[in-house]
Amino acid sequence: MASVHESLYFNPMMTNGVVHANVFGIKDCVTPYKMALLVLLSELGRAGAQLSLLERRRLNRLLLPLLQGPDMTLSRLHKAIEESCPHLANSVKIRIKLMAEGELKDMEQFFDDLSDSFTGTEPEVHKTSVVGLFLRHMILAYNKLSFSQVYKLYTALQQYYQHDEKKNGIDETDMELTNTEELEGKMEKEELDVPLREEEISCSGPLSQKQAEYFLSQQASLLKNDETKALTPALLQKELNSLLKFNPDFAEAHYLSYLNSLRVQDVFSSTHSLLHYFDRLILTGAESKSNGDEGYGRSLRYAALNLAALHCRFGHYQQAELALQEAIRIAQESNDHVCLQHCLSWLYILEQKRSDSCVLLEHSVKKAVHFGLPYLASLGIQSLVQQRAFAGKTANKLMDALKDSDLLHWKHSLSELIDISIAQKTAIWRLYGRSTMALQQAQMLLSMNSLEAVNVGVQQNNTESFAVVLCHLAELHAEQGCFAAASEILKHLKERFPPNSQHAQLWMLFDQKIQFDRAMNDGKYHVADSFIAGITALNSIEGVYRKAIVLKAQNQMSEAHKLLQKLLIHCQNIKNTEMVISVLLSIAELYWRSSCHTIALPVLLQALALSREYRLQYLASETVLNLAFSQLILGIPEQALNILHMAIEPILAHGAVLDKGCAMFLVAKCQVASATSYTPQKKAEALESAILNLNEAKTYFAKVDCKEQLRDVLYFQARLFHTLGKTQERNKCAMLFRQMHQELPAHGVPLINAFK
Amino acid sequence: MAAAAVVAGLGSCSCDFSDLREIKKQLLSVAERSRERGLQHSGKWASELAFALDPLPLSELPPAPALTEEDARDLDAYTLAKSYFDLKEYDRAAYFLRGCKSQKAYFLYMYSRYLSGEKKKDDETVDSLGPLEKGQVKNEALRELRVELGKKHKAQELDGFGLYLYGVVLRKLDLVKEATDAFVEAAHVLPLHWGAWLELCNLITDKEMLKSLSLPDTWMKEFFLAHIYTELQLIEEALQKYQSLIDAGFSKSTYIISQIAVAYHNIRDIDKALSIFNELRKQDPYRIENMDTFSNLLYVRSMKPELSYLAHNLCEIDKYRVETCCVIGNYYSLRSQHEKAALYFQRALKLNPRYLGAWTLMGHEYMEMKNTSAAIQAYRHAIEVNKRDYRAWYGLGQTYEILKMPFYCLYYYRRAHQLRPNDSRMLVALGECYEKLNQLVEAKKCYWRAYAVGDVEKMALVKLAKLHEQLNESEQAAQCYIKYIQDIYSCGEIVEHLEVSTAFRYLAQYYFKCKLWDEASACAQKCCAFNDTREEGKALLRQILQLRNQGETSSTEISAPFFLPASLSSNNTPTRRVSPLNLSSVTP
Repeated sequence: MASVHESLYFNPMMTNGVVHANVFGIKDCVTPYKMALLVLLSELGRAGAQLSLLERRRLNRLLLPLLQGPDMTLSRLHKAIEESCPHLANSVKIRIKLMAEGELKDMEQFFDDLSDSFTGTEPEVHKTSVVGLFLRHMILAYNKLSFSQVYKLYTALQQYYQHDEKKNGIDETDMELTNTEELEGKMEKEELDVPLREEEISCSGPLSQKQAEYFLSQQASLLKNDETKALTPALLQKELNSLLKFNPDFAEAHYLSYLNSLRVQDVFSSTHSLLHYFDRLILTGAESKSNGDEGYGRSLRYAALNLAALHCRFGHYQQAELALQEAIRIAQESNDHVCLQHCLSWLYILEQKRSDSCVLLEHSVKKAVHFGLPYLASLGIQSLVQQRAFAGKTANKLMDALKDSDLLHWKHSLSELIDISIAQKTAIWRLYGRSTMALQQAQMLLSMNSLEAVNVGVQQNNTESFAVVLCHLAELHAEQGCFAAASEILKHLKERFPPNSQHAQLWMLFDQKIQFDRAMNDGKYHVADSFIAGITALNSIEGVYRKAIVLKAQNQMSEAHKLLQKLLIHCQNIKNTEMVISVLLSIAELYWRSSCHTIALPVLLQALALSREYRLQYLASETVLNLAFSQLILGIPEQALNILHMAIEPILAHGAVLDKGCAMFLVAKCQVASATSYTPQKKAEALESAILNLNEAKTYFAKVDCKEQLRDVLYFQARLFHTLGKTQERNKCAMLFRQMHQELPAHGVPLINAFK
Repeated sequence: MAAAAVVAGLGSCSCDFSDLREIKKQLLSVAERSRERGLQHSGKWASELAFALDPLPLSELPPAPALTEEDARDLDAYTLAKSYFDLKEYDRAAYFLRGCKSQKAYFLYMYSRYLSGEKKKDDETVDSLGPLEKGQVKNEALRELRVELGKKHKAQELDGFGLYLYGVVLRKLDLVKEATDAFVEAAHVLPLHWGAWLELCNLITDKEMLKSLSLPDTWMKEFFLAHIYTELQLIEEALQKYQSLIDAGFSKSTYIISQIAVAYHNIRDIDKALSIFNELRKQDPYRIENMDTFSNLLYVRSMKPELSYLAHNLCEIDKYRVETCCVIGNYYSLRSQHEKAALYFQRALKLNPRYLGAWTLMGHEYMEMKNTSAAIQAYRHAIEVNKRDYRAWYGLGQTYEILKMPFYCLYYYRRAHQLRPNDSRMLVALGECYEKLNQLVEAKKCYWRAYAVGDVEKMALVKLAKLHEQLNESEQAAQCYIKYIQDIYSCGEIVEHLEVSTAFRYLAQYYFKCKLWDEASACAQKCCAFNDTREEGKALLRQILQLRNQGETSSTEISAPFFLPASLSSNNTPTRRVSPLNLSSVTP
């Protein structure tokens, strides 16, 4: 089943949408960390030629991240410098120590000296270089400080240094305990501080602006790419709350809190945060942009749009539509085509919930290309492909379209969409019943290095496409009887997507489906029955279908029939062709189980026509198997053999092991049945080849543990050996049959009449 | 310990108001004790209340509290420190008080340390280093104070005032639960200290929480309950409590009078509130507290001269008070000088950033100036200060409504409605939004509820009727119009209601369709009284006459049962309270 969720339209850092990294202007301020950097710079200048070339290069590489990164503790800074040049690290530390333990005037002197580096005939630092700009910023910021602020900065520097010292002191355990009284007092305070800490843990770490920004962007990208690595929802919320407590104007924190609430499906707090974010954004937007009106109206539109997205996520489609209308209206009034484009995509998603017209989508794609919105365009193409696949368009066209969108992705480095596209291809190949192709695509995604990984340094992304691909992979393995491998994959899924994360539902469904199939193969219907509730919770249609299958297996024919008929009507309404065909097949099976083969035939033909029309090859060959069986029972084995030859090839190439077994078994039966009219010699040959086919079927069945089918095959083989007069082989088969027959309960249907 | 004995003596105040003299004695004594500890507001409250009671004869005046050994030892340090304290030199006061053991001196010691921290914090906020650090300035003294007070608390060495200070420190550290416990304990130990009760009021969020607390059974509890009921918008209960307090003998208390006025303001009984405020100003002409509320009332009634007088008066008394700024802001707003109004509200906020009302009012001003983004900012600030400020939520909703985002503003109106479920304005606003979104069913619900909770603006019914009209539910529409007309007439409002004519026209046509000629002609005749429907009414009357003549011959019942002929000829505002449309028999 192809799966591109609407959530993908919802991209936290909307490329052309709302969220841009930073809405408030960065104002430089002097912090102790910055002072440490300044010391480093001045030491660098002082060391000059003494540094070896290698050291100098390492340091230069180190400088930029240090200048742009968030504040860090002295020990970490020290370590970072030490790695490139240990000698310099020490001198930096000594100078900071001197400054922190000295007097205020040392610091003032330091800043006075700083500007010297610009003077002279050949200045050490160019005024417009990165370092020069930084230095000048800092000097300017320092000069702006009032006296009390300077003093505060100085005490902050002392704390910065002492904090580091204390840590070291504890490590080395040779703290000089000159003043016992002081220690006592300290102990007492610490002891009493402990309970306070726990309560106040949230407000423990005041963050600098850079740190806060870094924290937010890091968490946001983790939420998007790899939820498990992000903080847990509760912890993240706590951090955000403390951040907001310190600075309520930090609007982005509200947005992150919105995303965080979405993780836990909390509609109230997510709405609250979202609206709060936009209330805040509106005012910052108005302030920061010179053309105030523009920036401000813009966020209004996106506010409404995001509200629509939120309601859609929670399944409030009516509300979502109202909000969307609002967004569209405002966007139209202000001629914002980009926003309108986003609205159009969302409109499609909402429409999709009710009817499957793709007119909107086609429009959307065309316009998106026109306005140069590659993200939306290719997302549109992918949705379109998905829909066309369900509507039975030819594969080559779809693949062509996907190829085109891939071109777009690579051109614009939309790594996220590349992943989705591959996942989409996997799903489409599976839909068409080409398991090898699906397998290949899935492996490709898994072994591909995503573009993002190169940038961020995260090894793998835990996005939805990965979940989809892995689930497909698990099912493919299960189909081939490699249950150990399948469960290994599922285990991996469980680790990567813990049960409460966004995409966990996917693997939960697949896990239960696989277990259900195994239980059915084993003939443990009650076990299978127990999975139905879980499956229904995740996918109601699938659940009902499986319930019917269990009922059928338990010989409750009329109940099963009723259920299937209902399901058939429902699926026809929502145009879920795949399920319609499966249901038709099950109904046909019900008919022939009740020995009404003549009634089964038209149903099967209908299923065949449908599956041919929609090019669902896998289902088509299964239908052919059913058809052949009916023909066999109706006494035209030659005809059955004919159409079987047509179906056997794709089944052996792509089918599940169980189906392969069934097919071979059926071929053998048809061979035997058609051999009756042959000459004795020819008949013997036919029977021999039937026995060979049965052997093959046996290995297939053994692979997936289908004891019942195995028993049937053995019985049949024994009969054949008997006819051929091979007593020894016959006895062996009979013995095996006998063993299995004792293990298994007797079947309601006469043995020879069942093919599945 | 002698101090404990005094506390016990004060603590055992009875729970009824039978002995007003005793109460007065207690009030005087606690006022004195509060003042000794620098708790000026509590002292003021107690003195105000004591002033409302009859004066005591000399013989019954409470004696000065006896000095204990410890007090005597600390007396010099205390006297010195208290004078420093009064001069706001807190650190200096604390320095000289260190090591003092007596309760009074110890409290003053801790309290000056606390105040010094607070003062420094306020000063710090002005020059912090970075933008993010703005909110991070903390009162550094709080943690130490908490530790020390906590130790004393564990050893049960804190008196009522000490417990109060402990609670304040805890609250500042956001340890709400512990703070509540401390205040409850303080109220038990020293029920007369109003400060503890007041702090408790700020911590109680809803009725359930109030019920769950075990409070001492004293007469002070009555004051507390009345106050908290006002805070929790349980106005009926609050008014009852205040009335009973007045009956008990506090009729002269300006505090109670002002509280009653505020309560009436909260339920929008404007006339009553106005008259009480006027009374209050007569009794206490230099009062500044609560005058912002008074100005709100004057504003709502657009009483320009009164508001102007009030503004001038207050400005003379003290122009650097939050309330004064607010009154002036309202004054400018009424004169449509919105920029100036916003300026004054800003000034109020500079004087006290936690003064909630000013944020909301500033939002209103920005709305008037069509500066929606600034309005949103102001309202958001108001909400940040107090999440329960329904006016700010409502204002946000209005802002977005003006921006033509009816769906978006639904959320805000809903929040406002949650906070004031019985306020028809939010319901009508909600209904209008739903109507704009074409969600007529919801809209109908809102309007109906708005009518049911008592519609202030009387528009809900008309809107409801129009909705029914749109949906072709003529019967319900007629019902609503009838109710509407009854409503308008029953309150005898002189104000011309535009929709009355619409209502009569619809009713006339409705009855006409139902072939109820008498009612139809009565309504049509009423239509003739309005300019916009006169012609239609006349035409309808003619038609009715025609059809009547065709139909029945008997026309004895021309004098219709529901409108007296006199009122038919007169204008459209019948003075007496007729039940004009008692038409329930008409509807099937």
